[in-house]
Amino acid sequence: MRRPWLDPDWRAEFRSGVRDMLPAFPGIFAWGLVTGVAMVKGGLSVPMALLMTLVAYAGSAQLASLPLIATSAPIWIIAVTALATNMRFVIYAAALRRWLLEYSPRRLSALGYISGDFSFVLFMNRVAREGAFPHRDAWLFGLALLNWLVWQVASIVGIVAGAFIPAQWGLEFAGTLALLALAVPSCATRPGATGALVAGLMALAGQHWPYKLGLLSGVVLGITAAMIVDGLVESTDGERRS
Amino acid sequence: MTPTTGYVLAAIACLVVATFVTRAGFLLVGERLTLSRRVDAALRFAPACALTALVVPGIVSPEGALDLSLGNPRWLAALVATALLLWRHSVLGGIAVGMIAYALIRLWLV
Repeated sequence: MRRPWLDPDWRAEFRSGVRDMLPAFPGIFAWGLVTGVAMVKGGLSVPMALLMTLVAYAGSAQLASLPLIATSAPIWIIAVTALATNMRFVIYAAALRRWLLEYSPRRLSALGYISGDFSFVLFMNRVAREGAFPHRDAWLFGLALLNWLVWQVASIVGIVAGAFIPAQWGLEFAGTLALLALAVPSCATRPGATGALVAGLMALAGQHWPYKLGLLSGVVLGITAAMIVDGLVESTDGERRS
Repeated sequence: MTPTTGYVLAAIACLVVATFVTRAGFLLVGERLTLSRRVDAALRFAPACALTALVVPGIVSPEGALDLSLGNPRWLAALVATALLLWRHSVLGGIAVGMIAYALIRLWLV
């Protein structure tokens, strides 16, 4: 459909997406705020920081690029760093793809560009429960749009009020807690818990690797571990699983 | 040396392209690329693995070295939040309880 928002069912699903993202509000806000503050303290002028947050919606890549920009590092290094810090989104997109095949390239571009960590996890949880429910593009769009909006408002507040927000408040920890809250239920199965354990240990071991490669290796190795355990579970009680 | 406006604009453009390519690229190749069933099955575990890989270093090693002492309020606060989340799952509750624990621990222990 060319104008899906004319369909009341589509709008209802969109609204329910917005509602389902609300609990993560404080975590996203705190994180956006900290990122906004970091941009101006990292040496960007207020207009440049505003432009960066509005067009480049990628928290970790933004933070990673700041010290490089401050020292006028070669542009290609910034490009490589931004690609590498965003690598986990390739895995997210690969996982989302089969649920979104039927939508137009334009809609997929928009959905992809504004889907972050939170929307991805919530979407995957719901399709795992309900399968390909109708108007899932609307629901994902609702999730992602609220996430985007809260992040942008918080970032802008951080950029403008940067000088008045002390780092000692530890606000960024609220973002960590929001992700932790999503992580706990996804570790409920034995393969999920094993994968998470391996991913966490690997990310810790590779904490100082360049380009957030520790994070990426953690995700890849964690998924592999989860698959191995899943294979073991399947071979021991294959009958009960489908 | 202060970076010039043109340089900063080029850097921002790099971020935009990198974000678009990584997030939307795979969605746009569409049906032309089929993932094997194994890979598709493996991707079910992406949320659990990505989330833990994202949060663990900041919790147990906030200063860049593993710190599971009483001097690191983050892992203690995360422990409190995890206990709450296991008992009753609520994102909002996890954030609130975790932040309160974080503040109190820093007030009393550090």
